[in-house]
Amino acid sequence: MNKNWVLSQESFDALLAWLDQDRERAGAKYEEIRRRLIKIFAGRGCIEAEDLADETINRVTNKLSDIGNQFTGDCERYFYGVANKVYMEHQRRKQPQPPTATVVDSNRVEQEYRCLEECIEQLSDQDRELLLQYYHAEGRAKIEQRKQLAEKLGIAPNALRIRAFRIRISLQECVENCLERKLR
Amino acid sequence: MNSNIDKREMQNYLLGTLAADRRIELEERILCEPQVYEELLVVEEELIDQYLAGELSRSEQKQFENYFLITAERQENLHFRKLLKRYMDSRAQLASPGTSAAAVQPFETSAPAKKSLPFYSGPLANRPAFAFSASLVALLGIILLVWLAARHPKQPTQQIASRVTVITLAPGSLRSADTTPHVNFPPKGYDLKLELELPRPAFRKYRSQLLRESETVQTSDDLKPEAKGDQNIVPLTITREVLSPGDYHVRLSGVLDSGQDEFVDNYSFRIDRYVR
Repeated sequence: MNKNWVLSQESFDALLAWLDQDRERAGAKYEEIRRRLIKIFAGRGCIEAEDLADETINRVTNKLSDIGNQFTGDCERYFYGVANKVYMEHQRRKQPQPPTATVVDSNRVEQEYRCLEECIEQLSDQDRELLLQYYHAEGRAKIEQRKQLAEKLGIAPNALRIRAFRIRISLQECVENCLERKLR
Repeated sequence: MNSNIDKREMQNYLLGTLAADRRIELEERILCEPQVYEELLVVEEELIDQYLAGELSRSEQKQFENYFLITAERQENLHFRKLLKRYMDSRAQLASPGTSAAAVQPFETSAPAKKSLPFYSGPLANRPAFAFSASLVALLGIILLVWLAARHPKQPTQQIASRVTVITLAPGSLRSADTTPHVNFPPKGYDLKLELELPRPAFRKYRSQLLRESETVQTSDDLKPEAKGDQNIVPLTITREVLSPGDYHVRLSGVLDSGQDEFVDNYSFRIDRYVR
């Protein structure tokens, strides 16, 4: 894997132009594709999922001059084809050892916990209530309680799952930012 | 999900057990369909929840630990979910109807709790005069103890102790396998003090590592042994905030004059969810 290959501004511009004519939409698409490629490599058990995703993007970018105007179809499928090739090459190389579990600093955990409390307080009343009720239930009661919660909110159970997930993600981001401020 | 890929298949994909043909179909859709990608994220989240709730089968649990947790991002997500679970557990404990009477007591090992005086219903309940005399004697006894304590102050470390509950743990090497002590989750404002019995006193200072599910949650240095009766113990205070229900191990090491560690013994205990 060529980790030293860095995207030049020119190559990156060409990639964005290929993804979408609108530069802003192209940027968002690039980010999305990268995130999904990381998930795919992680789904295949690759520890270096991010590196492999970047390698895939680099290779696609490198081939743009060849495929540019002739390619028709979804860009994503092309990325998938290249990702498969990158994966096969990766499999042929020796697998690195899994990262050892990081030792948790109890002071840091405490600060994180304080941040979590602060961030939960910062949520809107509606989101906080949904989060607390959604994650409160455990065991067999969980399914029934979540169903009741969805009914109470007038949304489908699947919509509730996604809404709870989005709140959880925003909470995690808030905690990360808070921790960064505290450790600065 | 409006597709022929269900949640179970996504879970198997994340655990690395999905058949190759289904995997290819799923991956293409992850890349091309935003809603499938988002569903994958949600299922990933739910898988972590199931793992923490002990809802995975043994083989799934093994796959989760050895396959799913390979990336730093997933390890971070697991760590965050543990933090959120701790928050939810502490809320549940405060909100639990049974906690008003029981949780305000210092938490103890899971031996049945003794009833407190306001709810006393023992043999003296029907003999108020005798009960009053007994209470008076007890009160005088307490006053005498307080006076004696004032005349003979204890060591500073004991004086500054905040509200703690003490539990004595025997070394793992001297304990039978099925006797892990159970400890109730401490109520707010209480810390847990462990007294780690020493198999033999051999060091002037000790060092400890507290682990929960193989993750270190607290390390303590400069622990000094104390004599307690005919036993030598190492006191170790654990703040409530680092605890949540689960299995814990303390790895105790002696500190050599060179500053290096020498393993002494392991101590295990379990924090139960609610005060019993």
